[in-house]
Amino acid sequence: MTAERKLSIPGGLTGALVGLAAELALEEITGMELVNGLLAIIGAGFGLIRIDRRIYEATVNLIKRVPVEPNSDYRDVLQQIDEMSLELPELRESFVKLVQAGMEAQKA
Amino acid sequence: MVGLNALSKFFRKTIGPRIEALGLLPHRYYLHRALDALEQDNIDEAVRMLTLAGNDKKDSRWRLICQQVIFRCRVLAAQHEKQLRRFETEMEIFGKPAELVGTYLRLQNAEERAQDILRSYESSLLNQLSSSKSAPGRAD
Repeated sequence: MTAERKLSIPGGLTGALVGLAAELALEEITGMELVNGLLAIIGAGFGLIRIDRRIYEATVNLIKRVPVEPNSDYRDVLQQIDEMSLELPELRESFVKLVQAGMEAQKA
Repeated sequence: MVGLNALSKFFRKTIGPRIEALGLLPHRYYLHRALDALEQDNIDEAVRMLTLAGNDKKDSRWRLICQQVIFRCRVLAAQHEKQLRRFETEMEIFGKPAELVGTYLRLQNAEERAQDILRSYESSLLNQLSSSKSAPGRAD
C-alpha cells in the first residue's frame, strides 16, 4: 500500500528558482533580509545547544591571546599561564588537558 | 518568515535588552552572550552576563566561563602594567621633558585606571565563584 516516491530534478530546480524569486521579491518589497535573518536565528539556536564547543574554543583562544615576548621560550609562557590561572582550578585543568592533547597529537 | 525576522529585529532593538537585564531568558543564553563578550574583550558585558546567569544557577559551565573571564582580566591587567612600566622607563631615559610630562602623566593615569577596573571585575567574579562553592546543591 506504500506509494512509490519519484524524485524530479527539474521539479526541484523549479521549486528552488521559485523560492529564490519569492525571497528576492519579498526582500525588495519589505526591505528585510529573510535568509540572513533565518540563518541568524538558526545559528543562535545552535550556539545555545553547542555551548560546550564554544567553551572549548574560548579556552583555546585564551591561550592564543596570551602575549608572548619575542625573546621568551615556551617555559616562560607556561609560567605566565600558570601564574595567571591561580585560584582557577577548572580552567587550569582545561589547560592541562589541552597541553596533553597537543603532546599526544605530536607523538602521533 | 517575514514575521519571524521582523519580530527578531524588533526584539533585539527594543525590549530585548530590558528582558535580558531581568534575567528571564534561559541560562545558556547568558553564557552564550558572556562568551561573545569575552571574545570581543568586552569584559564589562561578560561580567554582566555572568552575573545574570549566576542568579539562575552556578553550574560547571558557568564556573568555567567565569574563570575564563578572570584569566582574561589578568592578562589584560598585566599588559597595562607592562605599558605603565614602559612609560616610567621612558621618562627616566628621556629625563622628563617638560612638554611631555603632562602626556606621560595622563597616559599613566589611564593605564592605572584600566588596571583598577580590571581588578574590580576580577574580584567581583572571584567573589561569585567562591559563593558558588559555598552554596550547597547549586553546582551540577
